[in-house]
Amino acid sequence: MQPPRAFADLSAPPRHARRAALALATLAMLTATGARGATDWEASLDLRLVSSDAEPSFMEGGLGTTRFSGRDDGLQLGRARLALTQSLGELWSMHLDASMFDDKDRSPVGLTEAYLLFRPYPRNGLRFRLKAGAFYPPISLENRAAGWESPYTLSFSAINSWLALEVRTIGLEGTLDWLGTRSGHAFDFGVTGGVFGWNQGAGVVLANDGFALTDRQTPLFGRVGQPGAAPLEGAEPFLQFDHREGVYAGIELRYLDRVVLRALRWDNRAEPEVDDASVANYSQDTRFNSAGVRIEGDYGWTGIAQWLDGETTTGADWPGALSSWPFRAEFALLSKRFGRHSLSVRYDRFEVDSVGADGFGAQSGHAWTAAYVFNADAHWRFTLEWLQVISSSSSRADLGGPPLLTETELQLAVRYALGASSY
Amino acid sequence: MRPPARACHTVSVPRALAGLVALLGALTGAVAPAATLVITVHAPGGRAVPGAVVTAWPLDAPARKPAAMHAVMDQVNRAFVPDLMVIPVGSTVTFPNSDSVSHQIYSFSPAKRFQLPLYHGTPYPPVHFDQAGVVTLGCNIHDEMLAYLLVTDAPYYGRTDASGTWSIEVPGGHYQISIWHPRLRDEAADLERELTVRDTDRAELTIRLVKSLQPAPLTDRPHSWDY
Repeated sequence: MQPPRAFADLSAPPRHARRAALALATLAMLTATGARGATDWEASLDLRLVSSDAEPSFMEGGLGTTRFSGRDDGLQLGRARLALTQSLGELWSMHLDASMFDDKDRSPVGLTEAYLLFRPYPRNGLRFRLKAGAFYPPISLENRAAGWESPYTLSFSAINSWLALEVRTIGLEGTLDWLGTRSGHAFDFGVTGGVFGWNQGAGVVLANDGFALTDRQTPLFGRVGQPGAAPLEGAEPFLQFDHREGVYAGIELRYLDRVVLRALRWDNRAEPEVDDASVANYSQDTRFNSAGVRIEGDYGWTGIAQWLDGETTTGADWPGALSSWPFRAEFALLSKRFGRHSLSVRYDRFEVDSVGADGFGAQSGHAWTAAYVFNADAHWRFTLEWLQVISSSSSRADLGGPPLLTETELQLAVRYALGASSY
Repeated sequence: MRPPARACHTVSVPRALAGLVALLGALTGAVAPAATLVITVHAPGGRAVPGAVVTAWPLDAPARKPAAMHAVMDQVNRAFVPDLMVIPVGSTVTFPNSDSVSHQIYSFSPAKRFQLPLYHGTPYPPVHFDQAGVVTLGCNIHDEMLAYLLVTDAPYYGRTDASGTWSIEVPGGHYQISIWHPRLRDEAADLERELTVRDTDRAELTIRLVKSLQPAPLTDRPHSWDY
């Protein structure tokens, strides 16, 4: 069993990395206020009526697999969001995305993304893009709505929930696209590469809790879990203390505006035996392959499938011996739009193995999600979602809970949006 | 299989005479054209192809230059409106942005390379298109935005209607007919036909595509989604 973290000290000063990121965000904000050029605002408020029989979630110190537990029945804040896209001259722009999830994080408001984008005009059919700051790597085919939300369901798939919780590029990403559809062809093709730091904790949730289906996005200075609550103890996924940058490389192929294929290899290249004693954060050496396809057809049909296969390794708890958690997950989603209404069904399957950790952290499960979305007008959106997760978890058993559990969460969401993110 | 060059048989006037009549008509401007060309475009299954661009070139008379025009291609809900226009060489087009978000328009097509830096409203003068060819337009911020301008130096041009048909009155003569569509998968050269029509007569031609068109752009997606 994984021991509680001995060195929890959350009053420790922020690391250099976070100072740098904060400085970047502040600089960007200041630049924005003085900059000439277009400013696009987005704001939304998403309230939920929840009925759930799930165990407390990781943010409540539990090992439940959904965002809201049986304790959360009633009215909840889904998300309050304010985002700004500011052009900085002709070819640069800045994007800031701030949210409240009301989930007992250390700060009530946090930045989920903050980056600068350089987008020169295409030349001879080729286009280069450079992103610098904090943002999601190009993996999800589901989270295509403003604020990295899914327009199909409230809860993201297990794969994309994990990305939302623990994975962010804090660094640079370059993309080169061949714009075939702009030169008489039916295909576009792109290659992407990224270099990042401050994601040395990616994998801590997988290794301890396993997969979950949630729409909570960990802010850049946020934490997962609560201090003092095993096993996560309020770990911070977006930290760096080993001076080793992570990398990823991916490709994207598009057929007209109907099919998108993506594949990406990601490796944070963390040194697994470096411990961050001051704040009880594990170093997780995490790498994965991912692939996905999204197909959109006539009559509002959309199909999405994604696959993830990787491993996270740490030496923090068992000095001299590394523990690993190979993980894999996949989902398939089918959605049909009827004008402003849509119906979506998704099946998720996920598994985490435990190697060298006395079986701690092993999980396997599957989930069904069904959602109805009604975009009443440009501003109002109503969503009804039913989610059922059936999972077995050795961590849950080790901590005195039921190893095998069926959790069901029902949510009715009402969202009001303003600005560019409206329908 | 290559479709038949002429779906309907047309007239057998000596070409020289037809050419002379056309030439006289063109020179004097006094003789109103009285012949009618009716061009229909069908997909492989026989379904009509609306919106196809048809151009007609007189082969036996000097072509008059089409009159340049001014056109407007708007941007509404992150889409070009309309998303396809045919304009004669020498025409100008204004690209207003009626959206609340900014757009950044570009073309890297050989017929016209240009960029309209980030804007709302109508801050830029019209763009001049002085070379024939297909100009593909995009927005450097919103990749879902895609539109086409066909710049033509053909004296007669137009687009097929809902029944896949385009018709025009022309002086009698011998014509080369070409069609183009942004979703065409056939080689455009394979779909060129010749057609002769006598004054006061009516010549009909059906052009059958060998390959079906590419799927149409999806138009019912909420425009706030990532492409």
